[in-house]
Amino acid sequence: MAQTSANVKKGDHVQHHFVDSDQQFESAKMGMWIFLVTEILFFGGLFLAYIVFRSWYPELYLMASDHLDTFWGAVNTVVLIGSSLTVAMAIRSAQLNQQKGLIINLAITIALACIFMVIKYFEYTHKFELGIYPGAYYAYDGIPHDKANIFFSIYYMMTGLHGIHVLIGIGLMIWLIVRARKGHFHSEYYTPVEITGLYWHLVDIIWIFLFPLLYLID
Amino acid sequence: MSGHHISSAKFLWGVGIVLLVLTFITVAVTWIEIPSPWNVVVAIAIAVVKAAVVAMFFMNLWWDTKFNILLLVMSIIFFMILVGITLLDTLYRTDPIPSF
Repeated sequence: MAQTSANVKKGDHVQHHFVDSDQQFESAKMGMWIFLVTEILFFGGLFLAYIVFRSWYPELYLMASDHLDTFWGAVNTVVLIGSSLTVAMAIRSAQLNQQKGLIINLAITIALACIFMVIKYFEYTHKFELGIYPGAYYAYDGIPHDKANIFFSIYYMMTGLHGIHVLIGIGLMIWLIVRARKGHFHSEYYTPVEITGLYWHLVDIIWIFLFPLLYLID
Repeated sequence: MSGHHISSAKFLWGVGIVLLVLTFITVAVTWIEIPSPWNVVVAIAIAVVKAAVVAMFFMNLWWDTKFNILLLVMSIIFFMILVGITLLDTLYRTDPIPSF
């Protein structure tokens, strides 16, 4: 190969089956969008359960929602929006070859994601103390409705699956920081940052719907 | 990779602030008692606007290929088909589910 070492480094990431770096980037991004489609339909099943049971027991949802703390739900919404902003800033840093900015923004994102999970942990444990467990384990008699366990089953499934996605996102972000510290990302190649960003924004979007649907019905 | 869109920091902060303002609005509308079912309609409408802002300006669909936008729109359409067909059943049952 009659390339200079700088060129070799720049083109290093392009796999032989792609025409060029741009095509590789666009293909990866399209693949991620297809994955996000499956994620939307995955959560869609739970949103459907929410809709069907709300159409059957509208009064239950109004009663049970009183037991969710709107304040902490709102705080978590702000935390996740903030983390979406820092992910977008991380991608911008990678595009501009700002390695330090990339790592700092990813670290802030991880911190915000951890704050989200800590708040979720306190919300869950508070409910467990009251005996509010999902499904057959429901043992709380503060809600005068036969089907009170149904609302909380849906609550735990939706927020639980969302929480698992946040944990996976934290893992991905740690992996990105490790790679960023090794100098793997630069303006020509930052595909993993971009794609993890897409994933993270979708997790944010899911919460944007969960918050009013679960916490804000009075 | 000159074709990639790079948002300015100011723009990204602006998008974040818009999302925070919309979050405040969605909480604030619950303080004024909007009669049902309009409270649900307003809550969902604000959530859809927020999701659209995130998708367009954080996920960069605004500057992206039309195909990726199509993917997102198709997922929403198929979700609505799922909901629509299921509700055609569940809304018209005399007894929801025995023992459930």
